[in-house]
Amino acid sequence: MDVTPPRKLSELFLGFLAIGARSFGGVMPWAHRTMVEERRWLTPADFAETIGLCQFLPGPNIGNASIVLGKRWFGVTGSIVAFLGLMALPFIWVMALGALYLEWAFHPTVRAVVTGVGAAGAGLFMGTALKLGRALVRRPAALMLVAACFLSVGVGRFSMLIVLPVSAAIGVFFARRGWL
Amino acid sequence: MILADLAITFGVLSIIAFGGMPAVMPEMQRLVVEVKGWTTAEEFIQLFAIAQAAPGPNVLIVSLVGWRAAGFAGAVVALLAVCGPAAVLSWWIADLWERFKESPWRLAIQRAIAPLVVGLTLSGGYVLCTPSTPDWRLWAIAAGSVTAFLTLKINPLWILAAGGTVGAFLL
Repeated sequence: MDVTPPRKLSELFLGFLAIGARSFGGVMPWAHRTMVEERRWLTPADFAETIGLCQFLPGPNIGNASIVLGKRWFGVTGSIVAFLGLMALPFIWVMALGALYLEWAFHPTVRAVVTGVGAAGAGLFMGTALKLGRALVRRPAALMLVAACFLSVGVGRFSMLIVLPVSAAIGVFFARRGWL
Repeated sequence: MILADLAITFGVLSIIAFGGMPAVMPEMQRLVVEVKGWTTAEEFIQLFAIAQAAPGPNVLIVSLVGWRAAGFAGAVVALLAVCGPAAVLSWWIADLWERFKESPWRLAIQRAIAPLVVGLTLSGGYVLCTPSTPDWRLWAIAAGSVTAFLTLKINPLWILAAGGTVGAFLL
């Protein structure tokens, strides 16, 4: 497949603007459609590799992808331009929706609907976790780590600042022994 | 100074958000609701809902929290703070990562992080559904959402819409 990276900063900006503006129900599918299918900036393999790296890095995955890809094509300016393009419209959408909600939040039905959406969103988180977790089912050491994180951070409300370093160290130890 | 407080709080979250925003959601809720008191637990799930339903990265919940805490400036500061440190790290690591492609340590770290992300993302869902005392109605909606997500191949937006509809009658 022939790919041509964006040649101008304006192309980069408009591409990320298109991702941000349309990404109803999850950004990644739209990022793929925009950069791989429509604009052909990246091969599917390259896209997967880049997203894989950004999922590993801390912070918002697609935000990191805008930084990494902007850098690859245009250096620092590219990172900033891609990031601003990505966030500009969603920021406006979310603030407008937030302002609208606050206008109506006195209404009990509105609050009930929005809380229902939130609970469904929480379910999507758990669904995503279960999907990712399928790959770990046959590894007892991995399941133990999943349970330990859930019990300490979710149920016990311990700070991640404590849990994360400890569980990461245990995880690396397990991985080096080939248990993960 | 509340803007500085927002910047530090979300800046720290940025650095520990391995696996992206879902994994850091329980810590964000704990800090925003329990430690800082910027929103109530009920309001937090509602701001989360707005950020999920709006198009764009779900990280934008931080702008809504920042806005509630310190107005428009708070919204901008919170977003930049939660993206900034991670962005600098990405900028730096992108090339390094390529160089260590075959390193056994890279593989070990990747394998170690996967179960943590699963456990933390599960925690995020759990914490959102448990504002103060466990609420069976929120759990029922979340359970329906998990089932739909895992069995149907539809845009998650439909699942959110269904959750809102059920919420109107149940909550």
